[in-house]
Amino acid sequence: MADDALFDFLHMEIVSHVTKSDAGLLQDGDEAMSKLEQIGYSTGYRFIERLTKDLSRFKDELEVMKAICKDFWSAVFKKQVDNLRTNHQGVYVLQDNKFRFLASISNSRQYLELAPKYLVFTCGLLRGALASLGLTCIVTAEVTTMPACKFQVHLQRA
Amino acid sequence: MTIHNLYMFDRHGVLMYYGEWNRKRQSGMTIEEEAKLMYGMLYSIKNFVNKMSPVDVREGFQCYRTSKYALNYFETPSGVKFVMNTDLHSQGVRELLQQINSQIYIEYCVKNPAYKSGETIQCELFKTKLDELVKQSPIFKS
Repeated sequence: MADDALFDFLHMEIVSHVTKSDAGLLQDGDEAMSKLEQIGYSTGYRFIERLTKDLSRFKDELEVMKAICKDFWSAVFKKQVDNLRTNHQGVYVLQDNKFRFLASISNSRQYLELAPKYLVFTCGLLRGALASLGLTCIVTAEVTTMPACKFQVHLQRA
Repeated sequence: MTIHNLYMFDRHGVLMYYGEWNRKRQSGMTIEEEAKLMYGMLYSIKNFVNKMSPVDVREGFQCYRTSKYALNYFETPSGVKFVMNTDLHSQGVRELLQQINSQIYIEYCVKNPAYKSGETIQCELFKTKLDELVKQSPIFKS
């Protein structure tokens, strides 16, 4: 579908634009990363409102995380999260074996150093979605072999 | 049915990719010289075909045949040119070239932020997927 390709290209261009405009100012582009994350945060915050307008209130955190893995991920990435793990103390790991933005880049370790830039937006997206559902958290991501990647969500307790 | 090799040019004539599967005879030139010769020939023959056509021009140049091999040509509207040498009994090469364009080039190069236009294709994923597609095609006989 044409819309899917549009989202891919737009994401590529956002990453390239934000990292390019910071090239002269900062050594490793930390500012670029936090800008990208902020863009993701605002997007996720509003998107989840639209997505959950028909769903009932969630029973507990685990329900929220499961809904994120299924409905939210399907809406954005056209597939569900492949693996969800938790230590039942507020840390969740979402594993996606064929992450949408990495699938076109590489199948192995080539271009591994480029991968983090394409995960930051999604980290923000997750953080924004959870914030809108009432859960403050910190989201980080890691890639070992493309195109699989893991997102770690640390929920902050009150 | 056999596939010998494949050249891909961008609209400025830069050789983006060269792959060979079954080449029995080398031309005695470096790959850059070969590519320049190929591109020059294509440019001339396309113009010639369009000028000298006795009927209304439709697709233009698509293929030439010798007694031993056929050269098949496919160009996208954006100027990316695919040239594939096959043997004389191959069928459906044009469809294969269209598939290479839409399923491999677009997916793994155009959508790949690591690929910059105007350069040769370095992406491993592209090479792997192209190889897979070619080897799976009924035209290929290793």
